Amino acid sequence: MSNNSANILDIRNIEVMYDNVILALHDVSLKVPKGKVVALLGANGAGKSTTLKAVSTMLASERGKVTKGSIDYDGNSIEKQNPSQMVGLGMVQVLEGRRCFGHLTVEENIISGAYSRKLSKGDIDQELEKIYTYFLRLKERRKSQAAFTSGGEQQMIAVARAMMAKPKMLLLDEPTMGLAPQLVAEIFNIVKELNQKEGVSILLAEQNTNIALKNSDYGYIIETGKVMLEGTAESLLNNDKVKELYLGISKKGRKNFRDVLKEESLNKKIN
Amino acid sequence: MANELLFFMEVLVGGLLAGTMYSLVALGFVLIFKASATFNFSQGAMVFFSVLAFCGFMQDFNIPFVLAFILAAFLMVVVGLCTERLVLRPLMNASEDTVLMATIGLGYVLEGLAQAAWGVEVRRLDLGIGDFPVPWIADNLKLFISALDITAGLVAAIMIIGLFLLFKYTKIGLGLRAVADDAGAASSIGIPLKHIMLLVWSAAGVVALVAGMMWGARAGVQFALVDLALKALPVLIIGGFSSIPGAIIGGLIIGAVEKILEVYIGPFFGGAIEGWAPYVLAIFFLLYRPEGLFGEKIIRRV
Repeated sequence: MSNNSANILDIRNIEVMYDNVILALHDVSLKVPKGKVVALLGANGAGKSTTLKAVSTMLASERGKVTKGSIDYDGNSIEKQNPSQMVGLGMVQVLEGRRCFGHLTVEENIISGAYSRKLSKGDIDQELEKIYTYFLRLKERRKSQAAFTSGGEQQMIAVARAMMAKPKMLLLDEPTMGLAPQLVAEIFNIVKELNQKEGVSILLAEQNTNIALKNSDYGYIIETGKVMLEGTAESLLNNDKVKELYLGISKKGRKNFRDVLKEESLNKKIN
Repeated sequence: MANELLFFMEVLVGGLLAGTMYSLVALGFVLIFKASATFNFSQGAMVFFSVLAFCGFMQDFNIPFVLAFILAAFLMVVVGLCTERLVLRPLMNASEDTVLMATIGLGYVLEGLAQAAWGVEVRRLDLGIGDFPVPWIADNLKLFISALDITAGLVAAIMIIGLFLLFKYTKIGLGLRAVADDAGAASSIGIPLKHIMLLVWSAAGVVALVAGMMWGARAGVQFALVDLALKALPVLIIGGFSSIPGAIIGGLIIGAVEKILEVYIGPFFGGAIEGWAPYVLAIFFLLYRPEGLFGEKIIRRV
C-alpha cells in the first residue's frame, strides 16, 4: 500500500544504538519529499551513515538497532523489513566507499543490481543500454575487471548498479569521497540527471557541504547524532553559521574550523 | 629404457587420476569458502554422511541405484537447508572464526547422525566399476590404469564444467560471485544471502556425495572417510582456496607428486612417504605463494 502523501521518506525522532550500548543517534527527524534531493550534512562520526543504514535496514548486520522513533517509507513503517525487501520496495543504498565487486567485470557489476527483479535477458540488455546513457564512461570499460577501474569509475559503477534495481529512492553515502573536483562535478551531474529524468528521490550524505547543497533542494545538518539545523538548500548556503562552520567562509574572510572553535571557546571564557 | 618410461607414465597417469579424487573432495571446500570465506571443517563429515546414506538406501531398503542417488542428493539439500537455517543464519553477523568453529561442531553432529541412523560397520559399495586395470588400455598402450580412476576423472571433469557454467552464466551464479567479493554490498542491492548460502551448501553436499561414492568404492564406506578432509588441505593450499580450477589442478598435482615421490624417492625413506609428502609441498607453497596457484589475488589499487 503506498500513499499519496508528499513525503517518500519520513523519519521521526529516531535513536540508534550499536551493540546495545553505543548511542550513535540521539534524535534525528527528517523528511524527503517525493522527487526531491535532500542533503544530510555533517562531519565524520556525526551519524550520517548510521541514519542511512537505519533507513535501508542495514543496521542489523552491524549490530545496530533503532531503539526509539519511527521510519516510514512510502507510507509504511520499515520496522519489520530486511535489506533485500527494501530493495524490492524500491529503496536502494549506495554504500560508503563504493564497494564494487572487484573480481566481476563492470557490466557484471551493473547487472547484479537487477538481481531482485525478474527480468529476461532482453529486458536486462535494454535496461543496461538505458543506464549506459547516463554513464557513458562505463560503457567503454564494460569488460574491465571492476577492481582495476579508477575511483570515479567505481563510484559510477556503484550508482549504476543501484539504478539497475529500478529504485524509487536512492540513499547515497558520500559519493564524492576521495574524488578529484572534476569527477565530483561529474558524479553530481549524473545524480541530478537521474533525479530529474528518472524521478528518483535522493537522500544524500555528504561532507562536501558546498557542492552537496548546490545540488540539493533541502538540507539537514547533524552533529553528534542530532539534527542541529535544517532548511532549504539556499537558506543553508546563506546561513552565517553554516558558512563559518562548514563552508569555511566568514565576514572576516576564509577561516578554518579550528579557528572558529578557538574563537567560540574564547567567547565562552569572556562570558 | 622404454620400459622405464612406460613405468613412469603409468605412475604419472595413475597419480593424476587418483588426484581427481582429491579434487572432488577439495571442490566442496572451495564452494563454501567462496560464499562465506570459511573453511568448512564439516566437509569430511558431509562426505561420510552422504555416502553412508546412499549405501543405506541401496542396501537396507533395496532402492535402485539412480533413485538412491537422487534421494541422497536430496538429503544433502535438506542438510544444506538446515545448516543455513539453524547454524549460519543465527551466526549471520558473527566473525568468520565463530563460523569456522560452528562447522567443526556441525561435523560432529553429522558424523553422529550418520552412525546412529545407519550403524557403524564398514560397508562395501559396488558401483559396478572395478578398481582394476582396463584391459583395452593395458593391451594397446601397455599402461595399467584402473577403471575407477578413469571414471573419477570423467566425473570430476563433468562436475567442474557444470559448476563453471553455473557460476559464469546463471543469475544465481552471478549472485554467488557478488557475495564472494563483498557480502555487504551484495545485500545492499537486494541479493538475498540466505539463497546463496543454501545454494553453496547444497552444491557442496552433492559434491560430497559424489566424492564419497568414488572413495567409498575404493576404500569402503567407513568412518575414515571423514579424514579425507585433511587430504584436501594441501590440495587447497596449492590450488587456492577460492578457485574451482585450482581445486582440480591442486588435486592433480598432489596425486601425481605423491605417487612419483613414493615410487622413486620413497625407498630411501623406507617407503610410505605418500602420507606426508603433500604436506611438505603445501608448506613450500605457504612460504612462497600463499594464495595458491589460482587463488584470487587480493587486488589493491595504488
